[in-house]
Amino acid sequence: MLKEKIDGLLDRVQKPARYMGGEMNAVLKDADRVAIRYAFAFPDVYEVGMSHLGSRILYDIINKRGDALCERVFMPWVDMADLMREEGVPLFSLETRSPVRGFDMLGITLQYEMSYTNILEILDLSGIPLHSEDRTWDDPIVIAGGPCAFNPEPLHHFIDAFSIGDGEISTLETIDVVKACKAEGVSRRECLRRLSRLRGVYVPSLYRADYNEDGTLRSFEPIEEGVPRTVVKNMVADLDKAEYPESVIVPFMEIVHDRINIEVLRGCTRGCRFCQAGMIYRPVRERSMARLMELADKLVAETGYEEITLSSLSTGDYSCLPQLAHALMERFAQQRVALSLPSLRLDSNLKETLEETQKVRKSSLTYAMEAGTQRLRDVINKGITEENLVESLTDAFAGGWSSVKLYFMFGLPTETYEDLDGIADLASKVVRLYFKTPRHLRAKGLRVHCSASCFVPKPFTPFQWEPQDTIEQFEEKQRHLCRIMRIKGVAFNWHEPQVSFLEAVFARGDRRTADALEEAWRLGCRFDGWSDQFKFDKWMEAFEKTGVDPAFYANRRREKDELLPWAFIDAGVTQQYLWRERERAMQAQPTPDCRKGCQGCGLKRFEGACDGR
Amino acid sequence: MRMLVSFKKDEIVRHLGLLDLQRTMQRALRRSGLPVAYSNGFNPHIIMNFASALSAGIPGDAEVLDVALSGETTEEACLSAMNRVLPPVLAVSRVRLVDDRFPKASAALRTARYRVTLRGGDARRIADDVPAFLGETEIMALRKSKKQEAMVNIRPMIHELTAAYDEQTDTAVLDARVSFVEQATLKPDLMLTALCAHAQAALPNCQVRRTQLYGEADGRPVPLMDL
Repeated sequence: MLKEKIDGLLDRVQKPARYMGGEMNAVLKDADRVAIRYAFAFPDVYEVGMSHLGSRILYDIINKRGDALCERVFMPWVDMADLMREEGVPLFSLETRSPVRGFDMLGITLQYEMSYTNILEILDLSGIPLHSEDRTWDDPIVIAGGPCAFNPEPLHHFIDAFSIGDGEISTLETIDVVKACKAEGVSRRECLRRLSRLRGVYVPSLYRADYNEDGTLRSFEPIEEGVPRTVVKNMVADLDKAEYPESVIVPFMEIVHDRINIEVLRGCTRGCRFCQAGMIYRPVRERSMARLMELADKLVAETGYEEITLSSLSTGDYSCLPQLAHALMERFAQQRVALSLPSLRLDSNLKETLEETQKVRKSSLTYAMEAGTQRLRDVINKGITEENLVESLTDAFAGGWSSVKLYFMFGLPTETYEDLDGIADLASKVVRLYFKTPRHLRAKGLRVHCSASCFVPKPFTPFQWEPQDTIEQFEEKQRHLCRIMRIKGVAFNWHEPQVSFLEAVFARGDRRTADALEEAWRLGCRFDGWSDQFKFDKWMEAFEKTGVDPAFYANRRREKDELLPWAFIDAGVTQQYLWRERERAMQAQPTPDCRKGCQGCGLKRFEGACDGR
Repeated sequence: MRMLVSFKKDEIVRHLGLLDLQRTMQRALRRSGLPVAYSNGFNPHIIMNFASALSAGIPGDAEVLDVALSGETTEEACLSAMNRVLPPVLAVSRVRLVDDRFPKASAALRTARYRVTLRGGDARRIADDVPAFLGETEIMALRKSKKQEAMVNIRPMIHELTAAYDEQTDTAVLDARVSFVEQATLKPDLMLTALCAHAQAALPNCQVRRTQLYGEADGRPVPLMDL
């Protein structure tokens, strides 16, 4: 009955393929033969969620278990969500179109703060009570993980348990615990208690936060014996031993990253001071070339994709990238599988091979410069210089590339208008470099795309104590940038500061911000990351109604001794290291990549973390 | 050599558009390990064509894909390979190997059979009107294409049309074979609109399904796979 009702809705929405299921390699298991039915939700639409590598890894890991099954859930687009409410259709999984509420566990991935209202929408559409304390065994255990789980507090009221760190480990461990609890018939509360004892698992209802009069956090304590004071992140020490999908779903509709994605390494040691991923995914762990070749072989055979991309935070840092690229190109030239590689690391040798074997299209080259002057790049420890850019582009322009993307941030700590002018300088230099390239070598039609996004300070980075620029400051800087970026051959675009402001509030928010989040959702906010859906006025109304001051979270400088809402998490990097890095930043002192010498970030405390270094 | 692949487009995946289906078939063929032929150029793709594009929203029982091959293989090998690489909702029922001189499936296509299920409303009235509708010598309808709109006589494009009405379920099932050649393609929705106008009825809840594609031999319709 429900299945037919859902099917009927599909005639009435845009892009029905989002809700269709039935794709090649989707896993269909018999619900009667498993102990745990796990729904894995990505709080955005299908084509975004299906492009996320982590979700695919976990889908594969759960389905490899004999005693569990995993089905996918995505956030229905607004037309479908409204129609479902009208027709009384609950949120359903793609594989079997089963109601989400009937699953034993609901995993939600937290990739981006602006998906938080979608999480509330997912719970509500499923008919699951929004607040953890109102749920019973008729509801799934709601677990959330991903980068945003490193400051879980804004979601503390809505999520039963957070998984912090690499998901491969705790996904399996939490299934074991829930399975045992259901078999034994213990209370839901007891189940949460047992979950809290797993490494990397944080159960917010077992902790209590108290605040000082100035609004800062006074104390954060477990409320029961046996609940750990510190939650230590999970870490997979050996990627070769970690499970990796050897078969992935091939969607019917085009998705954002519609190709084979092979994770070559995890973590990054470059130490960019604004970058949360670079801190929380430490240490660097590589997959062996043999394993990568094996994965590529299997995935090409299983999917029929025509393109492979090597993914990681910094694929250029893979220790044998040239060898791997050559081997992959050689291996797959006959099968007409193309390989996409990171821009900056295209050495000339590799480029020749690319041109010979693949007749690659000269797609655009991307450089994340992040800041306009060397001084500011030293402050943020972005180890790329103007010389690097010039060198790489000189080659590229002579090799026939003519489209370049440059990424910048503004609102960075210590930034002045001189640094903003540096962005225009760099863009002009790129244009001049192109015109200096001999006419017979360069391709026609130079296109330089410059984009500038607003800096958002994130937890577990050296800038976690820093205030974000106010919206007014951002707008003023934006006006200046627009003026100076009127350069022939250069297209300039920027991001709306309102979204970045909210991102900053929730990135470093505490428990009290949860009320504002809930109110915003009640006022109709969802899909906040989609500019056509974003309703800033509703957000401001929500803050007003709940008495939450967003500036307190976004624009306030935190003191060194302030108790941070996420301090109970051991993310690997220590607070001492982060503060040391902050001090160096203020003196514009770069810190070298730790592969050239340990910087004492704290990861050595983890067994097997920095082996051989 | 080429292979003609007869596959279904299940109800569940009826919303797939031509591009989605093309991409899906390209990738399935790449997975199949069959000796398919590639085009040249920057983005080599497998040389294949559908006999006829089936609109998004309409399922099909016997769609035909025509694929160029670059080496020897057998019909059995192709059939099992295709079903291994396609999801059950796009299952292949038959593969036929043909010579390169064999006309392309899209060129051999002459007519297509549709089954239209009408539920409630004026379903009965429409079914009852079919004989009178077929009795007309001229049925003018407004045919829209990307380039132009024109009133055309669609009566010659309707080769067969029968209606069965079931009182218990208040359902009428129309079975129609209509022209599917260049210049004279009759989409089922246009025929339905004309029929409703003729019966002075409103179109009830309706489901359309394409059940067969035909070529022609000795002036008679023959399924493409049997030509």
